[in-house]
Amino acid sequence: MIKYIFNRILQTIPVLLGVIVITFILMYIVPGDPVQSMVGERYDEATVERLRAELHLDDPMAVQFFRYVWNILHGDFGTSFYSGESVSAQIMDKFPNTMILALTAMVVAIFVGLSIGIISALKPRSWLDKGTMFFALVGISAPVFWVGLMLVLFVGVYLRWLPPTGYGGIEYVILPAITLGLRSAAYLARLTRASMLEILDQQYIRTARMKGLPEWKVILKHAFPNTLVPVITVIGTDFGSYLSGAVLTESIFGWPGLGRLALDAILKRDFPVIQGAVLFMAIMFILANLVVDILYGVVDPRIRTERKTGQPR
Amino acid sequence: MLPLRQKRILAIFSVALLFISCRSDERNSRELTLAYPADIRGFDPATATDFRSGRTMSFVYDNLVRFDVGTELVPCLAKAWDVSENGREYTFHLRREARFFDGNPITAQDVVYSLTRILLPETASPQTWLFDRITGAKDVIAGKTDTVSGLVAENDSTLVIRLGAPFAPFIQYLAMPSGAIVNYRQIENINVRPAGSGPWKLETWERDGEIIFVRNDSYWGGKTKMPRLRIRILSEPMTRSAEFEAGNLDLLDVPNVEVRAWKNHPRWGKYFYTEDDLSLYYVGMNCSRPPFNDIRVRKAMNLAVDREKIIEVLRFGAGIPASGPVPPSLLKTPPPDPYPYDPEEALRLLDEAGFPRGFETKLWVAGDAEMYHVLEAIQSYWQAVGIQVELLRSDWNVFRTAVKAGKPDLYYLSWFADYPDGENFLYPLFHSRESMVKRNRFSNAGIDSLIERIQALPASRERDSLIARTNRRVFEEAPWVFLWYPESNVVIQPWLKGFESKLIFNAQRYDDWYKEF
Repeated sequence: MIKYIFNRILQTIPVLLGVIVITFILMYIVPGDPVQSMVGERYDEATVERLRAELHLDDPMAVQFFRYVWNILHGDFGTSFYSGESVSAQIMDKFPNTMILALTAMVVAIFVGLSIGIISALKPRSWLDKGTMFFALVGISAPVFWVGLMLVLFVGVYLRWLPPTGYGGIEYVILPAITLGLRSAAYLARLTRASMLEILDQQYIRTARMKGLPEWKVILKHAFPNTLVPVITVIGTDFGSYLSGAVLTESIFGWPGLGRLALDAILKRDFPVIQGAVLFMAIMFILANLVVDILYGVVDPRIRTERKTGQPR
Repeated sequence: MLPLRQKRILAIFSVALLFISCRSDERNSRELTLAYPADIRGFDPATATDFRSGRTMSFVYDNLVRFDVGTELVPCLAKAWDVSENGREYTFHLRREARFFDGNPITAQDVVYSLTRILLPETASPQTWLFDRITGAKDVIAGKTDTVSGLVAENDSTLVIRLGAPFAPFIQYLAMPSGAIVNYRQIENINVRPAGSGPWKLETWERDGEIIFVRNDSYWGGKTKMPRLRIRILSEPMTRSAEFEAGNLDLLDVPNVEVRAWKNHPRWGKYFYTEDDLSLYYVGMNCSRPPFNDIRVRKAMNLAVDREKIIEVLRFGAGIPASGPVPPSLLKTPPPDPYPYDPEEALRLLDEAGFPRGFETKLWVAGDAEMYHVLEAIQSYWQAVGIQVELLRSDWNVFRTAVKAGKPDLYYLSWFADYPDGENFLYPLFHSRESMVKRNRFSNAGIDSLIERIQALPASRERDSLIARTNRRVFEEAPWVFLWYPESNVVIQPWLKGFESKLIFNAQRYDDWYKEF
């Protein structure tokens, strides 16, 4: 298991290098002078030259690139063109907010998705099943910005149950978490239902029932754990993308997370922040996938043993 | 009937919701809440080049002088000032009671420090143009010395500023965000911790989240009526409208598309106000080469566009057709009439200029979808007189770089006042020294000398009439397609009292606003 984890970590290195190279080149070849958005309307030429020199924008590409990589290796993501603040500080400032939103959204997704999936699998083709699956279809099809705005309008403005937007206490996180988690919830519901139906048909379930186990025990102890492999895949990748910031949800709800940091930086051509944010998001995504891979081994011992004996999966 | 347990859960849930809503109401009565569409850059006056950062500076800093409701300068840290006969020497008498946030008194030396700081190369401020006319400033900018010879603290409360040549707008420069007086003792974290003396103190700043200010209880001037000022960063227009409707914002900047809905609303209509933006939108024409080096073509471009219709239909009534670069609120005499919509005359002029079948050209634009719709309308007006214009949409930096290089034949842009003076709409835009290197390559010796005379004259009748004359001259030369002076619209909550619009962006300090339920 440890060797497996170690190998997976080693595999992430070329991916990260690729991300660094690509973001750097993209930023380098983008036309237009980033200094233009820093100086306002009535600058003089000398100021522009001085700023360009200070930001090393006139150095050859190779020099800029190696300086960039060297700094990253020292944990320095550079400073923002716009605010002059350290990029890593800005990312670390936003990350807890993103983490809170991602975790809550995941809780919503898992709780809603799994329970709906299980319930509808237990009564296939019933009205309950049809109703919940219709909900799931809507959840998958509805655009995030539409769901967000509807929640703001109905729950926040008309019913006044919760503050429409903003951040602070727990009351602020509910609506964005629902918005963000809804799609995963819907997807999870369909996935859980499908794999549950398949498993409930298996012989060991019939055996468990024949043993005279109560139905809830059959479902939760014997059937449910076996639905987890596909479920974890979805949760893991979705969580990875939540951690890299949810631009739409964060914009609608005024949530100060990584997604908005990145979007704002793009709008302002703040290259160091864009580079830092993209790299950080890539790391988050890779980490989430790594955790998923490890969890496979935990929930399905077969995966672990196969790896151990070196057989293909 | 629900079973008892479910009823209990429901009850707890509703009580919790009630609690939540009570809490936000209680907070609302103590603080003024506004929204910005994006965050500010920081609290360093040296980097305040954008509109939002600039206006936020005035909450936490004082300048020597400042603007209030209209175009008049009012005393701030300087309680009085004299200008010498020759217009080159300014003497400021500072008020002794003014204190920085840390309790230290503000002296003339602090002013010298603050203004010098903008000029020093290590500050790397793009705002050196504000003070480079002070005697000796150029040497500081060049790094030859770190003291400005024309900036002298005679004693703690007397400051003398000497200029190389008389320059009337200078005193208005002192009221700009970068003219803020900073406390050298707190300079290190100035970008995140304002080192000033203004009526508000920064409490917390969560980037992209909110900026919270509290009343500065030791402020030398009138204290703010509200104990707290909360600025929320909400990038979505729909979100801002929803928050306003929910009562969580005290004022809403109404997007153009929503103007009619709010204005005609039975409940909100009476809380709807229109504000002068002190700005204009235009299409710059490159006057240095064909076809736009011919005044007849430039006039034809102006005559072909029906501004009123565009304002009415696409801008939902928000704006006034432009009649020259200077907005009417900065003119003491009635402005000229805008170019009428006269496609026949436009065709005749084009014919005369040798373009009987029109021509093809390109227009550069950087901006949002709303702008693009407006431009498509203008494009079709030009097409109707035979001018085929291709729209080139690009990123802001690319756009700026291209305009500076004189690359576009046509470009769509706006200009917002730095200070409320007609000169601000003439020199930076039409003086050949600026236009030839940064803008649409317009050069006219007569207009140059008029602008220079305006710059040398102190506020007077003569200056006012010169501004009006220059405005008319520029209008007749038609270096731009003058489009409109935009207006912005706001709607306020019924409980907001003391609301007052200010002409210039950084005059609004929200100190007299309060709430009454």
